[in-house]
Amino acid sequence: MGRGYIVEGAVESYLSQLCELKSTTLTGLLIGQSSAQRDYIVLAVRTPPKEVSSGDSLDKDWVIEHARQVSRMLPGGLSVLGVFIITEVDGKDTQTTLRQLVFSVENLISSERFWSPADDDVTDRVTLHINSKTRKTMCRTFDVKDPKSMAKPADWKYQSGVCSSWITLSCCLHINLYFPLPMRQNTPETMEKCIKDELHTWAQQIESGVCLLDGKMFPDDADLTTGQRRNAKQAYSVQLLISPCDQRIGDVVQKCGGSVSIRGAVHSRAYVHSTKPKAKLAEKMLKRDIISTVASRVHMLLEELATTEEQISNFGVELCIPRRIFCPMKGRGPLSVCDYQFSDEGSSEATERLKEMLDFDAAKKTSTQVKKSHLKILAQKFQTS
Amino acid sequence: MVVETHLSDLNLILRVKGPLEFKCLFDKTDAPNIEKVISQTFEGLSSDIKSDFCVFTLCDGLVVIWPNKDVHMSEDITPNTPCEELSQWIQTSEQESVSKRSLKKNQTKAKKCTTVINLGLMMEATRPRALQSVFARTVQTSHFVSTVLKMDCVICVRFGETIQDACLRLVEELSNQLNEMKRVTLLHLKGTSILIPEPFHFLLPQPHGLVTAVYPSGVPDSQLQTVRQTLHQKYDLADDTPFFRRANAYHFPNEPYRDGYLRNPHLSLTHPAFDNGKVYLVQGLYSYHHYMQDRIDDNGWGCAYRSLQTICSWFQQQGYVDRSVPSHKEIQQALVNVGDKQASFVGSRQWIGSIEVQMVLNELLGVTSKIMFVSQGSELASKGRELANHFTTEGTPIMIGGGVLAHTILGVAWSETTGEIRYLILDPHYTGAEDLQLITEKGWCGWKGPEFWDQTAYYNLCLPQRPKVI
Repeated sequence: MGRGYIVEGAVESYLSQLCELKSTTLTGLLIGQSSAQRDYIVLAVRTPPKEVSSGDSLDKDWVIEHARQVSRMLPGGLSVLGVFIITEVDGKDTQTTLRQLVFSVENLISSERFWSPADDDVTDRVTLHINSKTRKTMCRTFDVKDPKSMAKPADWKYQSGVCSSWITLSCCLHINLYFPLPMRQNTPETMEKCIKDELHTWAQQIESGVCLLDGKMFPDDADLTTGQRRNAKQAYSVQLLISPCDQRIGDVVQKCGGSVSIRGAVHSRAYVHSTKPKAKLAEKMLKRDIISTVASRVHMLLEELATTEEQISNFGVELCIPRRIFCPMKGRGPLSVCDYQFSDEGSSEATERLKEMLDFDAAKKTSTQVKKSHLKILAQKFQTS
Repeated sequence: MVVETHLSDLNLILRVKGPLEFKCLFDKTDAPNIEKVISQTFEGLSSDIKSDFCVFTLCDGLVVIWPNKDVHMSEDITPNTPCEELSQWIQTSEQESVSKRSLKKNQTKAKKCTTVINLGLMMEATRPRALQSVFARTVQTSHFVSTVLKMDCVICVRFGETIQDACLRLVEELSNQLNEMKRVTLLHLKGTSILIPEPFHFLLPQPHGLVTAVYPSGVPDSQLQTVRQTLHQKYDLADDTPFFRRANAYHFPNEPYRDGYLRNPHLSLTHPAFDNGKVYLVQGLYSYHHYMQDRIDDNGWGCAYRSLQTICSWFQQQGYVDRSVPSHKEIQQALVNVGDKQASFVGSRQWIGSIEVQMVLNELLGVTSKIMFVSQGSELASKGRELANHFTTEGTPIMIGGGVLAHTILGVAWSETTGEIRYLILDPHYTGAEDLQLITEKGWCGWKGPEFWDQTAYYNLCLPQRPKVI
């Protein structure tokens, strides 16, 4: 018995449109949420075409890099679940290509993760092959935990309104990281390693934190919506209680070549599908978003620092960490994607990135709608951090 | 260091434990600067404790308390709920539901024992609104301090006290403990070397109850003599009992011991009662050592060694010695070292007797013992007064050897008027697992009558003397 993917109707029209483009091979990503109970696909995004056209040959590295960037633009609960490919012919190597892509995407994304995978995580990823001439679709899954995994057939079913039944969890989290830099070798690489080690320790604190959803603690295995009538709460405010690890490894006092402090409060958001959601799943998704958003922002900052290293004075540096903006997706219910913005960037850069990475075409809509979504981005910018 | 609580008020203790991160940077290493930075860091932690983001979570229960905010978890439990009701929210393994246990279950337990409700100290990381996040980096050579303070405060709940009032008292205690930790840290500062302060609770005789002291970690008890003297004076305590040694820290009910040995199995026995009979027992804690433990098969020859180990465990756990319980080989080596046995004795399966026990206690622990000799077992029935006196003044376990057996005597029940006597025996010949129920049911730890002894054999008793120190 294979997996069954319930896919948002709008994805069907999007893929149809892609089929009509006269090109031999098109790839893209499938985004949604997989849990023990169900698999949902809410969005399909084509691999952005590269400026330098290298013909129709598939650039696997670019597909994978795109997946990595898109991954950072997804709030908790939504992730890259698979890859699609649209071809004019049914070749045997299409299957091989899909398999390679799915494994490579997973390897890259998981290598950058700071949260620890759980035993009950779903490790199946989906591949979708559409023949643009016959419109025949073939859907298969691979278990990315098993390198020798064979393709298993899966169901691909379109349904309208998949995006409207999601519960949003959100919180604003205070971060206060403070750690030393080593004595010698104050290079960007050593600083990056120190930061990564500290983020790992902090991530463990977050993962073992106690979650309250709308002020309540839920026992293990409880349903989030127990005792509520249908169509009850759609949004939960989350509180997280943490405590440092009991044991300290290493010396109490160490000589150091400086210190790093990361302080502030960040927005975090996660989605779970509202059909019998487990409180534990909601908690897991939000915690992972907390960890990912801080890690992504710090990573972006390090990249920025690396390019401006020569300009730093001996007294250190103080930089603003990029803020997060949420951008709702038209026709996708409460679901939003997100992006990060340095303080010197305007909203046009954000719109450009959303367009490029997520094929999020705000500009093509009618003028009133353009204003609306444009405003939404601006409004979000001022509200979030 | 000032929780003077009276355990008799209501037998309910509220205890909060949790780590607080202590991090700071010394950019200059002169003493005034270091002291200033340390003080400021402690002050920062004090304001964290008093802030809206300090929380207490109920261990093994789904309750969270914000002691500095007026917040309800649900209708069932509010800040004005009496503290006793908190115990109804603690989930035991038999419970399925999250809601309150029925009151009836608690009321049948009329036994007067101390209940401890454990709370965990945590910080709420979520905030009402976002703040611009800033990344700051310094590049000067400096010293970075990073450690964890293990906060541990207790209060005795007063009758009818609400959760809010009790928790505010706990916050006050945490604040006091931080101040005390600051004082101890600054006192033991040596250049940039810092000793982490650790809290310990001690149960003092009435009327004092539970008292908390903060000691610097890494400084052994032997160097804290003057600190203990001050404490003894403050609480008007006799100076021959080490109330304030770390090993004598109060062991809270249901706190597990890490080494796996049973502690004081005799406590679950019903003591004999007869005309004018009084019970005199060992004072303090010991571990039950017996055949086959520690993967050593000493079945048939090791009984006196095991009794000696039980005695050694008593001295260790009351804080008189630091060294761990000696192994059979270490016991044998000690006898070789004092010249009592040949070198070939080590590794053998030879028996030892009371005299050897006395020698080893002296050699390894610095403890002196009295030897009591009875020419026949029947005479033991008349030793009631002496044994009672021993348990009253020394309170140490007694090793008795005679016939072909060695045992440990943990107490005596004796009537001055009728002379009726019973002996509380801990039997080292037991070969099974650390099963308290089995051990007490089958009498491996149990009360025996005078017929227990071989009436014609002679016996030697080794009565260890408690050092009169603090």
